[in-house]
Formats: sequence, C-alpha cells, structure tokens
Amino acid sequence: MPQVGDLRAKMSSLLEALNKWLCGPITVMEVCGTHTVSIFRSGIRTMLPKDVRLLSGPGCPVCVTDQAEVDAMVSLAKKPGVVLATYGDMVRVPGSCGSLAEARSCGAEVAVVGSAIQALALAESMQDKEVVFAGIGFETTAPATAVLLREARRKNVKNLSVLSLHKLVPPVLRLLASDPTLVIDGFLLPGHVSTIIGTAPYAFLAEEYGKACAVAGFEPLDIMAGIVEIARQICGGRPAVRCLYGRVVRHEGNVKAQELLGEVFRPASVRWRGIGVVEASGLVLADDYSDFDAYSRFGITLEEVNPPAGCRCGDVLAGRIAPLECPLFGGSCTPQFPVGPCMVSSEGSCSAYYKYSSKGVSPWGA
Amino acid sequence: MGRLSLGHGSGGRLTNDLVKKIASAFARESGMLEFEDCALLPGGWGVTIDGFTVSPLSFPGGDIGKLAVCGSANDLAVRGVRPLWLAMSLLAEEGLDEEELFTYMRSAASVCAELGVQLVAGDTKVLPKGQADRLYIATCAMGKNEAISPWGIKEISPGDTVIVSGPVGRHGAVIASLRYDIKLRELESDCAPLWPLIEPLTRLLGVHAARDCTRGGLGTVLCEWAEVANVGIEIDEEAIPADGDVSAVSDILGFDPLYLACEGTAVFAVASEWTETVLETMRSHPLGRSAAAIGKVTEAHPGLVGLRTSAGGMRVVDMQGGELLPRIC
Repeated sequence: MPQVGDLRAKMSSLLEALNKWLCGPITVMEVCGTHTVSIFRSGIRTMLPKDVRLLSGPGCPVCVTDQAEVDAMVSLAKKPGVVLATYGDMVRVPGSCGSLAEARSCGAEVAVVGSAIQALALAESMQDKEVVFAGIGFETTAPATAVLLREARRKNVKNLSVLSLHKLVPPVLRLLASDPTLVIDGFLLPGHVSTIIGTAPYAFLAEEYGKACAVAGFEPLDIMAGIVEIARQICGGRPAVRCLYGRVVRHEGNVKAQELLGEVFRPASVRWRGIGVVEASGLVLADDYSDFDAYSRFGITLEEVNPPAGCRCGDVLAGRIAPLECPLFGGSCTPQFPVGPCMVSSEGSCSAYYKYSSKGVSPWGA
Repeated sequence: MGRLSLGHGSGGRLTNDLVKKIASAFARESGMLEFEDCALLPGGWGVTIDGFTVSPLSFPGGDIGKLAVCGSANDLAVRGVRPLWLAMSLLAEEGLDEEELFTYMRSAASVCAELGVQLVAGDTKVLPKGQADRLYIATCAMGKNEAISPWGIKEISPGDTVIVSGPVGRHGAVIASLRYDIKLRELESDCAPLWPLIEPLTRLLGVHAARDCTRGGLGTVLCEWAEVANVGIEIDEEAIPADGDVSAVSDILGFDPLYLACEGTAVFAVASEWTETVLETMRSHPLGRSAAAIGKVTEAHPGLVGLRTSAGGMRVVDMQGGELLPRIC
C-alpha cells in the first residue's frame, strides 16, 4: 500500500549493487524488532541472494523482558487498587503465573497506553487508584518515561509510580560482538534508538570487533541499502559505522533526550531474557526520583526465574539459532498459545517467521 | 478451556476458533453452519444478527446508531440480500444522557430511511452503573435474496478475480486514532450502507462471493476464504486502494492496514471474465469509486494467502492472531 510507484525498480537496482559487492556468504544481524517485522512484511527475505543470511537480534523490547519482570508486572496488576499501565503486546506475554491479559480477564486492571504520558492522565482521572507504569523498551521509549516522571513531579501527582524495565542497546551488542561462538559479520543498527544516542556509541563494534555496521531506517529501501552497505564494508575489508538514516539520526543524537535520561535514570546491570545479566545495560530511577519508584513503593525484588521448559527465546535473541530450530516452534508454541515472548510480540522474530512465512516455510520462498 | 480474552473478540484466528466451538454445541440441532455473514433461509429470505460496542460511541463518519444498522444491513447485502426489516435491542448503562441516546437512534433511523428498512421489533434494557460501557446495541436484520446466482464462499473458484470496493482499514484507523489520541484532520470512518453499491451487482452472473471486511479486516476475510474454499489467493499490495491517513496511523501504531476493520468496504470474488463489468458497475457508485482488482484465486497453495509486496517480495498473509495492540517503539 505504500504509494512509491518505482519502489520495485529501486529495490532491483539495490539488489544489483548487493550482488556486485557480495564476495561470499555473510551473516547480518538486524538488531531492531521493527527491522525484523519490516523485513518480513516487505518480503525482503524472498529477494536476497542465498549468500546473505539475516539473523534477528535482541532489539524487540517485549522479547528481552525477563520472566521475573513479567511476573512483577502481573503481580502488581493483581494487587487491589492498582492499575498497571504498559505498552502494546506486553499484555500477552506469559509469565510464570499467566499473562497480564489473563490477569485482566480475571479482574485485574491493566491499561494499554500508546505513550507513557497517558499514564499520567490515567492517574489524574483515577485518584482512588495507584497507577503503575511499567516502562519497557530501549533508549527510544525511555525518554518518554523520563518526561512522564518530570511531569508527574511538576504536577505533584502522588498516585503514580514507574516500574522501570528499560534496557540499553550498546552493552548487549558488545556482549554479542565479543562472543567467539557467534558468527555475525555485520549489524544493521536500529534507527529509532540511534535517533536518541547518535552513532558514536556503536564505534567500538567496528574498531574493537571489526564488525560492519549501518544505521538504517525502516522502509524496505532503507533496509536494503543498509544490507548493501554492510556487504560493501565486509567485502571491501573496511568495517565502520555508517549512518544511512541521516534524515532522522544525527551523529551526536538527541542531546536533550540524553540529558533527560541522565537526570531521571541511572544505569544498572539488569537481566535480559535468555541472555542473562548484562553489565550497565538497564535504567533504574535516579535517587532524585526514588519517590516514584514502584520497586520500593510495592516492595518488589526481581528473583531469577527459569524460563518455560524447552523455550529457546534467549538463543533466538542472541542469534544462536533461527526460530525454526527451536523445538517448540509451531508445535506447542504458536501465536495463539505462545510459550515465549518471541512468539508473542508483534516485533518478535518467531512471530514474524510464523505469520509471514506460513509457520516458517513459505511456499513463495525464504 | 481458558478464559475469554479481548483477542477472542478481535475477529481473527481466536474469534474464528471460538465461533466454531460455540457452533459445535448446536451441531445436532442446526447441522453444519456455513460461517457466512448472513444465513439464507428457505423461501429466499436472509437473516443476520450482530452486536455493536464501540468506544467512543461517536466518531468521525458515524456513531454507534449508524454502525448498528449499517453493520447488519451490510451482512445481508454481501450475500445479495436486500435489507427489509430490522429488530433492535438496546443495552444502556444507568446515567446515559437521554438526548445522546436519541442522537444515536436518529442516526440509526436515518440509515433505515435511506435503505427502506422498517424497524419491526425492539427491546430496551438499562443496566446498573458500571455493568456496561454506556451503550451496546444488537441488531437483527432480515431481507429478500435478490442475487440471480448464489453468493457464498462455496462458489469461489480458482481463476476468480479478487476486487475491493474501496480503501481498506478506515474505520479501524479512526477508532485507533481516537483511542490512542492521534490527531487526524480528515480521516473519517467508511461506515456506510453497502446495499446501494451492491444492488446492481446482484443482477450480474459473475459475482461468486462478497464479504464486508469488518473486524479482522481484508486480511482475515481472505484467509477465511482460502481456508474454507480450500483455494490459494494471491494479492498485489500496490493494487490495494490506499488511504494516506490510514497508512500514517498504521505506521505510527505498528498496525497492518490489512487487518484494520472496514464498515463500508467489501471484497468480492468475481469470475475473471466479469472483472471489468463488475469494476465499472462499482465505480459508477460513489462508494465504489476507487474499486480495484487486487489479485486472483489460485489452485496453487490451497489454504494460503500470498501478498506480492510493494518492494517486490512475496509474503504470507495470516489471520490476525489476537487483539490489535500498538507497537512499543
């Protein structure tokens, strides 16, 4: 439905360029869940040469939310007088004792918000309730949580708190890039996250680990251009971090948003689902905002919880296996009855494989 | 058996499964139900029933009253049945403003007048505060089958052209934009009675099936057709009539317009030699001005819907899995 008349022609010329540069098999990880979905929705996988292997990375905010974090959200939602507000398909992710959607069908109050600031309006309109905003997502959504907290303070709203589950992208990329068991030649870097942090925080990927990197937008042409650029860097032997999303991303990023993050949050080591604890990869509330911290207000501590038996979402997120290699894929784990978050989230790679290629094996290719 | 979730009401796979389970409880008395929008009864009559809940009750392009009449009347129309009679049940919450209620009733009456539909039966209940979301309406519509050849999923066959009557997803996009507070200047719901568009088509031989793309949108209707008729369907993304505002809302929220509800847009399976006649007939009515052939029914890949993307790739269109929720980033 996009009204780009000559899109197919432009894609063809990019494919020609890709074939020209390609010097052998390459493996590219698309870090961002939105990239994953766009790749599947536009059918890019069916167009690529066989020598280009795409892996989905840890950039789906729902998928990387640890089981213990889901459990904390569900237990908060079940508390009398609490309204749990959060984004999108977080509500469908199964925790140890059901999902937020199941809790809602049993009477818990769960509100889906399109933006963090809507949680403030909820709190103001429900003075007799405690509204808890479960802030998930990466550098992209964290500034919105920061704005919510600033506004809540300015308006002196007392019945609002934040359960910060935000995570940071560069630390987890360092973990993947430094893992000798993983074969990743290049990273298609996330456009939205880069809008906030700029391109400098990725420099180590090329300089220390020799990975080819391109920051790309989310339209099919952006993604294809990113893949061409990564092939060019790999085959030319010159890994770098190149931004192809200059219409949105500046080298220094969004400095105001970065200042806001620095004011409201502090980095902390947090657990990523299936990946484990990653040093300084999460954001918790700074001391100055501790009165809004849902962890202390409700006495929440996150204990390590084992994922469901057989679930290999962690290996999918780290690019160790493709979704089809998970023993549960398409059998006991489907979008209707998901076991792990990669099958739940609209940005999850298992869900994308299942939805856009007929349970993983499309009769139309890839 | 678990508990019902909002996903069971989304019109996608979960709804489909739930409806089949409910129908199986009646199988001994009712035989196998056809899972069409409207049942064709002996004597050439058609009947349908539908419940309407929408929040907010009033939206650009319509309100719950208009929606309740259009929805049922359209379910008849897409089987070639002229809507004639309507029964309506109101479930209102204590505290609803009477004038507001009558606004919706006048709106419903206006669609009835336009279609020549008579309200012949009704019921009104008021529920205690907190037991309903202001107002629910259920409507049952009945009419006379005027199609000169039968319309239904069973008639779909390989070689048929798939036609849509207009841009898809407008109703769903309007409701989503209101719910998630996205300001749009021009987008209106497509909520409209389809019979005036469809009536001339009932006199053509080549129409095999029609469906209004309500909950679950165009994508879900095509998946149902492919599965029930055991045919493949291939559509071309570039050919699908698009509305810029719908695309914008979908991009912001992470929705696929293919799954957004329509309330005045329908999809047709038409014998290939009738494609041009049907398109011309549709385009002569304002509701069908941007009607377009978007694909074809195939023998290959039975049960699957494939989409040739704007970028030139190919992907599967699956039935919507559950509740449509906005993306996170």
